[in-house]
Amino acid sequence: MSEVPSTTVAREDLFGLAAEFTTTPGIYHAAEKTRAAGYTWFDCNVPFPVHGLDRAMGVKMTILPVFVFFGGLTGLILACILQVFTNSLQIDLWALVPVVGYQFEVSGKPLIGPAAFVPVAFEMTVLFSALTAVFGTFFLNKLPMFYHPVLKCPQLARATDDRFYLVIEAKDPKFSLAEVEAFLHTLEPESVIALEK
Amino acid sequence: MTTLPLKDNTGENPSQRAQLILNHTSFGSVTDDILKGNECPKPPRSWYIALAISFSMMSMLGVMIGYLIFTGVGVWGNNNPVAWGYPIVNFVFWVGIGHAGTLISAILFLFRQKWRTAINRFAEAMTIFAVICAGTFPGIHIGRAWLAYWLFPIPNQMDMWPQFRSPLLWDVFAVGTYFTVSLLFWYLGMIPDLATMRDRANSKVKAIAYGIASLGWRGSMRHWHRYERAYLLLAALATPLVLSVHSVVSFDFAVSQLPGWHTTIFPPYFVAGAIFSGFAMVMTLAIPARELWGLKNFITTRHLENMCKVVLLTGSMVGYAYSMEFFIAWYSGEIYESFTFINRAFGPYGWAYWIMVSCNVITPQIFWFKKARTNIAIIFTASLLVNVGMWFERFVIVVTSLANDFLPSSWGMYEPTYVDVLTFLGSFGLFMTFFLLFIRYLPVLAIAELKAIMPEADPHGHGHSYNEMEGETDASAKEMEEGE
Amino acid sequence: MSSVNEPNQNNETGRTWWRSLDEAVATEETRTTAPGEFPEGASDLLATGDDRRQFLKIMGASMALAGLGVGGCRRWPKEHIVPYAHRPQGTMPGNPEYYASCFDFGGIAQGVLVTSNDGRPTKIEGNPMHSGSKGATDAFTQASILDLYDPDRSKRVTYGGEVSSMSAFKDWAVEYLPKQGKGTAVICEPSSSPTFHRMQRAFMKKNPHAIWVEYAPLTNTNEREALHHAFGGHWVAVPDFSKAKNILSIDADFLGAGPMQVQNTQGWSAGRKVHHGAMSRLLMFETGLSITGSKADDRFALSPAELLAVAELMAFNGTGISTIEGSAELDDEIVQLLKDEFGTPDLVVVGASQPAIVHSLAAKINERIGAVGNTVSYRQVANGSNATLSEVVAAMKDGRVTTAVIVGGNPAFDAPQELGFAEALEALNASVCLSYYNGETSQACKWHVNQAHWLEAWNDGTAADGTTCIGQPLIEALFGGLSASEFVAILAGEKVTDSHTLVQTTFNPNSDKWDPAWRTAVHDGVVANTKTIEKPPVNRKEMPLVSGVTASAQTVLFTPSPTVWDGRFANNGWMQELPDTLTKLTWDNAVLLSPATARALDVKQGDMLRIEVGGSSIEIAALPVPGTADDCFVLPLGYGRKFEGRVCKGAGVDAYPLRNENMWSAPAKVIKTGIMYPLATTQMHFAVDTTPGKGAQDRMPLLYREGTLDQYNEDPGFVSHIGHVPHSLSIFEEHQFEGAKYKWGMSIDLSTCTGCNSCVAACHAENNIPIVGKDQVLVGREMHWLRIDRYFAFAKDSHGAYDGDKLESVAIQPVTCHHCENAPCEEVCPVAATVHDIDGLNVMVYNRCVGTRYCSNNCPFKVRRFNYFDYFRRDPLRSTGLLQVQPDYYVKTQSGGKTLRAMQFNPDVTVRMRGVMEKCTFCTQRIQRVKIATKNAWVKKTDAQKKADPRVAIPDGSIVTACQQACPADAIVFGDLLDENSRVSKLHKEKRSYEMLEELNIKSRLKYLARLTNPVHGATVVEGAHH
Repeated sequence: MSEVPSTTVAREDLFGLAAEFTTTPGIYHAAEKTRAAGYTWFDCNVPFPVHGLDRAMGVKMTILPVFVFFGGLTGLILACILQVFTNSLQIDLWALVPVVGYQFEVSGKPLIGPAAFVPVAFEMTVLFSALTAVFGTFFLNKLPMFYHPVLKCPQLARATDDRFYLVIEAKDPKFSLAEVEAFLHTLEPESVIALEK
Repeated sequence: MTTLPLKDNTGENPSQRAQLILNHTSFGSVTDDILKGNECPKPPRSWYIALAISFSMMSMLGVMIGYLIFTGVGVWGNNNPVAWGYPIVNFVFWVGIGHAGTLISAILFLFRQKWRTAINRFAEAMTIFAVICAGTFPGIHIGRAWLAYWLFPIPNQMDMWPQFRSPLLWDVFAVGTYFTVSLLFWYLGMIPDLATMRDRANSKVKAIAYGIASLGWRGSMRHWHRYERAYLLLAALATPLVLSVHSVVSFDFAVSQLPGWHTTIFPPYFVAGAIFSGFAMVMTLAIPARELWGLKNFITTRHLENMCKVVLLTGSMVGYAYSMEFFIAWYSGEIYESFTFINRAFGPYGWAYWIMVSCNVITPQIFWFKKARTNIAIIFTASLLVNVGMWFERFVIVVTSLANDFLPSSWGMYEPTYVDVLTFLGSFGLFMTFFLLFIRYLPVLAIAELKAIMPEADPHGHGHSYNEMEGETDASAKEMEEGE
Repeated sequence: MSSVNEPNQNNETGRTWWRSLDEAVATEETRTTAPGEFPEGASDLLATGDDRRQFLKIMGASMALAGLGVGGCRRWPKEHIVPYAHRPQGTMPGNPEYYASCFDFGGIAQGVLVTSNDGRPTKIEGNPMHSGSKGATDAFTQASILDLYDPDRSKRVTYGGEVSSMSAFKDWAVEYLPKQGKGTAVICEPSSSPTFHRMQRAFMKKNPHAIWVEYAPLTNTNEREALHHAFGGHWVAVPDFSKAKNILSIDADFLGAGPMQVQNTQGWSAGRKVHHGAMSRLLMFETGLSITGSKADDRFALSPAELLAVAELMAFNGTGISTIEGSAELDDEIVQLLKDEFGTPDLVVVGASQPAIVHSLAAKINERIGAVGNTVSYRQVANGSNATLSEVVAAMKDGRVTTAVIVGGNPAFDAPQELGFAEALEALNASVCLSYYNGETSQACKWHVNQAHWLEAWNDGTAADGTTCIGQPLIEALFGGLSASEFVAILAGEKVTDSHTLVQTTFNPNSDKWDPAWRTAVHDGVVANTKTIEKPPVNRKEMPLVSGVTASAQTVLFTPSPTVWDGRFANNGWMQELPDTLTKLTWDNAVLLSPATARALDVKQGDMLRIEVGGSSIEIAALPVPGTADDCFVLPLGYGRKFEGRVCKGAGVDAYPLRNENMWSAPAKVIKTGIMYPLATTQMHFAVDTTPGKGAQDRMPLLYREGTLDQYNEDPGFVSHIGHVPHSLSIFEEHQFEGAKYKWGMSIDLSTCTGCNSCVAACHAENNIPIVGKDQVLVGREMHWLRIDRYFAFAKDSHGAYDGDKLESVAIQPVTCHHCENAPCEEVCPVAATVHDIDGLNVMVYNRCVGTRYCSNNCPFKVRRFNYFDYFRRDPLRSTGLLQVQPDYYVKTQSGGKTLRAMQFNPDVTVRMRGVMEKCTFCTQRIQRVKIATKNAWVKKTDAQKKADPRVAIPDGSIVTACQQACPADAIVFGDLLDENSRVSKLHKEKRSYEMLEELNIKSRLKYLARLTNPVHGATVVEGAHH
């Protein structure tokens, strides 16, 4: 049932080896073992976030929240500048940016009325945070990425359906085809698949 | 359609974790079952009929808008005291409906309401389409629609800027932000499922289309890790957003000084009303959808029952707000204010007021009874009534306050024209068209999330009995809160 | 005021010029029917004289056209462009010029000052030097400028409906008019013009056998008859209300619409100003509710029969002279009031509706109380009538009259039905009609000659006090046409028939164009020291005590319409859309009846009633008005013209058919038809017992504050105690307008404002406000920047509920933009289209407005108006149907007379497009004009002077808003609040002054002066008004 990669894939084209599991405990323990075995360049391709798997793999906490914080801060500051500049100041910034502030008197209100500026400031904070959160993930995940060995290999199509794959990449310093293959078999996978670059 | 009998999962047994997905034990079957509607070569005839109707209504909307813009706002019933009529009523109505989606995906997510996963996807879709409908109205209701862009702070040769003290401008930002965030939220949640559809695509076109849409998602756990974090952050951001948006919409009224508008209760009252109408609309859509797409195993009676409870709660909050308005109007001793409310209930627009009260306050009370909460027919009727009632609530607020304000000399009555009515109906066409296309071409449920809440998804529990995994999940929940 | 222009020079070329303009602005039909492509004598264009004024006219014409942008629409006759090298003395392109003129209304000359913009007359003001105007005007005068540019006005001479020419008519007049005037009847309107009378005499000299009849439906014939008995000869009474302290009015609506409205209002309002704790008192007995009645201190709604009794009581006061036949018993309350409480009046005035006997009794009383020569004088009027209209009609029928000549007026429409005038006229085979419209009478005549507008010809007239007025034209006749004098001159076979020479000759047969007296008269518009009011000799022949009033269960009374008068203004959009002060009705007339009568007949507003008088009947919608005498049905005349004008078509119901020899009232039979008819009122009429009605009653005392003189005398500040204003602290420091040079403010005196509507009309004319048409008024989209609110205050019954039958007082309150310092409209505008300028004006930036209409929602006074359509492109009268506009709305067309109408536009005021909000600007264009002038003057000053006047102060009174200028009651005062001594700041500081909706902390710049009344029983009125 498990085919022999060395015969199918030329060594230099080899991306890595994938082990296929059918249950979440399977992939979970496999990940733990792989990590324990000292492999670093490995990943799990799973149809849904298996709870705790990232910790089992030893994935480090992402920096995304920090991005988002500063994103939100930018939104807040921008909003304040925008409102005060456009409604409360009579200054000409042509030297810097091609716009002129506009000051006008409405309803006997003070020119800088913080109360009135709160809603927009809030909304822009949220907007910028949200944009950073989403595009931050894309950036950190290097998405969109339309070519990837995992996507290329038809056997791994079920990674988005009901199968769980553990992939040890060839670029892992400890990688040697025979060892890895043997190691993977110790994890009792359904099968082991060689992935072509 | 599943042939297996539907287990009653509405029991409240503390020792038993209620089952949220029926008749499924394998992940594969979940995928197959959910994507049935998308992957079947021909959707049911009823889908075609519905689409035809919705589309023609949408085209009618187009015609009406064209006529409006070429002729003038005069084609509507708006007049001098009542300068805002149907368009603003519809705007608030749609924005309100647009609140359930993000609420379900954000707040219920933060509250770890697992049952949300079955409904959040199309609730969010509903949100987005509703907000599109909502956004249409302020755009076309202004006298010179072609200048609507003046509401955005775009540097221009006139050196003119919008006026940031105006609630309408707050609207622009609030609704704009809300739409953007909801869209991102929706899309982010959909990426893994789009990937699923890509991998199951049976034609090149589909494969490419879904491939591009899913950005090359490959389910890498390292991606999932950041993805979950981003999702959590979005939820945390969207929660205050949801509350703020309808508060801002309510400022359109509360910030003015018109008797009947100028009240501090409006923000909470509007938010409650929005959630109220939103959930009603979710049910109105969910009930036919689960029939049509055979999703009974996922959108179970329990889900509906939970939503009924939310409707009951928010409905009562709205009722409280109504009574409070009256009390304060009387308590203030302010003649204009108190008159406005007496006039609302007993004046020329009394009928609208009583429709509103009976639909929004009385109808939901039926959900005190479990029999009603679990009876599809009753739920559906009630949710329809609530939608009607909420539209009338906005009508009452907008029209009656304007029709009789300070000076009796300027009092006047408002009557919509056929253009008003057809435009309103047209907006439903727009909404339904989008929704029907959505359930046909996009994953109608959050497949990945659903799988994640199956007992089988738990890497530690082995059996499929719910009792066993009880403590486990709680523990994992705790861990998550500690922030891994 | 600038120099006098004399457009009669180079008449030929002038006329051709204007005729080419005429075609440029003509409607489709003229274009098609115009003889040939080029106007006759177009070649004369080359021969344009070197007269500089001629150039001015040319420039005026071409500028007008340029402004109209019709250049591209059609081929033009070849023209030579003449450089505007030599500017006529005293003219500056773009600067308006003002010319004094006058026109005849109801037999009395109205003195006006006409604004001309580059050759286009655009606005009419009162002539300050004219005794009857003193600078103020009434609504009719304001609106008559629109008639000049009415696309429906008759544009040519016709014979039997076919296009003919003036020369053809002149030939006919010479050839075929019966010699010696045998069988010729001339029917003309009463005129005060000396020239006209001169021409009449000339005509009668040439045609001694001709019959000459003066007829107008609203002439005060009964008074004439009574005074004829009293003094012999033809007299009219000229009351002077400024001197009267204790006025008794028997159905005399002297403040209401009429030729003497302006001077009456001026006099009366002068008496209403409190001097040393005293003011005049007005006791009113009337049948229907008039604005005079609404301003009276004590008012009683009486039936005609009871009115007789009142006159009788006053005349004989129990001296035991036999009662007049037809008079009824009076309530003891009234008898009591008249006998002692009210005391002796010092002026008794009687309405035209009263029978001759009452007028004669009034003359008697006025004599006894010594009013004559003091509060009332009399003036002898020329009257050339040698027959009555009924005699003429009889003569027409039996063939003694074969030729009818009608000079102005519209007898075929407004002559009493039973005479059958129209039919008789149609039967004649020789008939001529000079009229402004090709209307009912013209269509009944063989010849129709188009009349020139009074702004197009020279004329003269006599003011109420006898002063002679000279009226100069402002523009060459747009469509040819003759003035009445010219017309009669032609018929009289005069050599000279041009109006200029005629008028000047009347003025002084041997004065030439350089005669200084003449030039002064023309410049001033009046001839100095020509007053002729006097105390007439008494040679009284006692009148038989016969009233002609026949008692009946139901009575109809005919009143002149305050909007279309006798029907002559029916095709005037401004007047049609002008809401009647008391009913707020536009575009229609309705039969007014008391709420009790309405209940008895089971009718509501809009219920059609069939009213039968003798043989004839009409169907007209009912409009209950509190304060009308029960079982009396008041019918305003003048509506329901058969003439198919763009505006008057289908507006209202013709009440003339019910009229008979007794012109003013008739016993009637009234039946409910069950059909409903939509009445376009600008204010909703709630039944008082419904919730809104109660709401309105409750808040009325706060909005419209009034009190009695006694109350004021004991506590001048009583106004501030009405209503409670919580003084809440602002969470931010409010803007203080530091460095503002001016602070514009307005004050409106509710005591003197009579709701005569002239301010509304003036605002219409000044600010290019569109009319919207009945269908739009029905949905509440009228565009008036300045409106007059009317509330009825009712007494509470025993249960504390308001009783709709007990009218306590009528509130009349002009409302316009208050220019609040904390304007609620501004903060809600998302694009800053309405903001505050440095002078504290709440300005509206039309071209920034995107039309969210939020400002209107947030305006507590709802004075903002929104252009729901392009109202100037949308013909307001064509029925709209499903597609709510007409096809030509979508294409940039100049058809439908739009260009002609556009000539009236005030060039200083933007014409608003659809989708933008608009509102009162305090006539910012007038403010700017004065500001600029003042600044220019200031700059030329020496440094010392500049230091003395750092603020570039504008002298008080030099800026006058359109409404203020028109107001005859001097109720509206505008000015600079920074100037301690300006009238407006004084008035704002007055104790009576209050701010509407002060509790909203909006800081209005417009404040009202509370109304003071002086009722016989001091307290009672207050009782009801201030709960």
